[in-house]
Amino acid sequence: MRAKSAPVEQSLALRTLVFIPAWNEEASIDGVVADVRTHIPDADILVVDDGSTDSTAERARAAGVLCASLPFNQGLGSALQTGYLWALREGYDFCAHLDADGQHPPAEVARLLAEVQANRADLALGSRYAERTEALPGAEIEGEDYKPTWTRTIGINVFRFILTLATRQRFTDTTSGMRAANRRVMKLFSENYSPDFAEIESLQLAVREGLRVEEVPVRFLERQGGASFLTPLRSAFFIFKGLIVILVGMFKPRRHAEAER
Amino acid sequence: MSLSALTLLAAEADRVSLTSQTRIIAAVLAILFMLLILDLIRRDRLQERYSVIWFAAGLAMLAGAAFPGLLRFVADLMGVRDTNVALFSIVLLLLLGLALNFSVIMSRQAAQITRLAQERAIERAKEQAAREALEGRLNGRREGEDAPDPDRST
Repeated sequence: MRAKSAPVEQSLALRTLVFIPAWNEEASIDGVVADVRTHIPDADILVVDDGSTDSTAERARAAGVLCASLPFNQGLGSALQTGYLWALREGYDFCAHLDADGQHPPAEVARLLAEVQANRADLALGSRYAERTEALPGAEIEGEDYKPTWTRTIGINVFRFILTLATRQRFTDTTSGMRAANRRVMKLFSENYSPDFAEIESLQLAVREGLRVEEVPVRFLERQGGASFLTPLRSAFFIFKGLIVILVGMFKPRRHAEAER
Repeated sequence: MSLSALTLLAAEADRVSLTSQTRIIAAVLAILFMLLILDLIRRDRLQERYSVIWFAAGLAMLAGAAFPGLLRFVADLMGVRDTNVALFSIVLLLLLGLALNFSVIMSRQAAQITRLAQERAIERAKEQAAREALEGRLNGRREGEDAPDPDRST
């Protein structure tokens, strides 16, 4: 709808959306929005407020970006799907998303976007653990480097192994919430995106549908506010659920994305 | 099943470990159960399509009470000597199936609720965009410019 009122030369250009799923992130949302603006100036920004009970939505609107507010908390998968749905329907050519807690430097998101914009991948995935072939990227970004907790490290390794096995493609950071995608991925994810295990199943799904998924080494920072929701028990449940999702995902019927390419 | 077979089944009550007292209680409970289902439908607390299975369960209970031979017959089919074991196995399996059925229904509804919430969220963002476009026009800002944003130069 904004495209229609934009000047002609702008509406002909390829359009990019950066969306930020946020659940009770009032402390960091302004900063993340401002950072995205600075580092990805050409992109429109959408905050997907996942039923926050604090002032996340108000702050996002006050920061001058559109905010899609889910009426109640739905979980990250549903929030991300809302973003993909918006990007698809509003006719964006590319989209990217990053966490609202300040762990994902927007400068790194810009590098992911560059990958899909250059058509080197359908889905680019920011990986904390991928080997860096070039000189340490993102070294200029200020902030403390991300350090995973030991429970998270176990989970990460289990998923890395299983997903690599299931897709026959090497993944190092399966739960990364920093991604960039083109319209093929938007179409796929806006229809099929399991709310239970969005991060992993979506990768498996994309690979199965014959899309090019590429990991890009990025730097993550320590979170600015809030705490991770993972306790050891929850981690165990998380891992168990993930295993079921991947196992079942291997036997799901293929859709149609391949034919569209 | 012919009528004579039915009377035969009914006559076999003594072979099955059901006294006429338990049979009467079971029959009354079955009828009360079906009446309850009817009442729930009448008061719009239960949809017809979900009531069918419960009616079937009530009828099965009634049939078991009226013709205890049926139970013996089923137990023999299953190769179970004790009719009680047969009864409990069947009931357990039925309940398991029902619970699974509900999980399937619940999953479908959860997916529908999710999509509804997402559509609502998208509508809200569109409302915001429309509102801001209108306000921008009222404030005499250039048409097509994004929401108020001093950091961004177009």
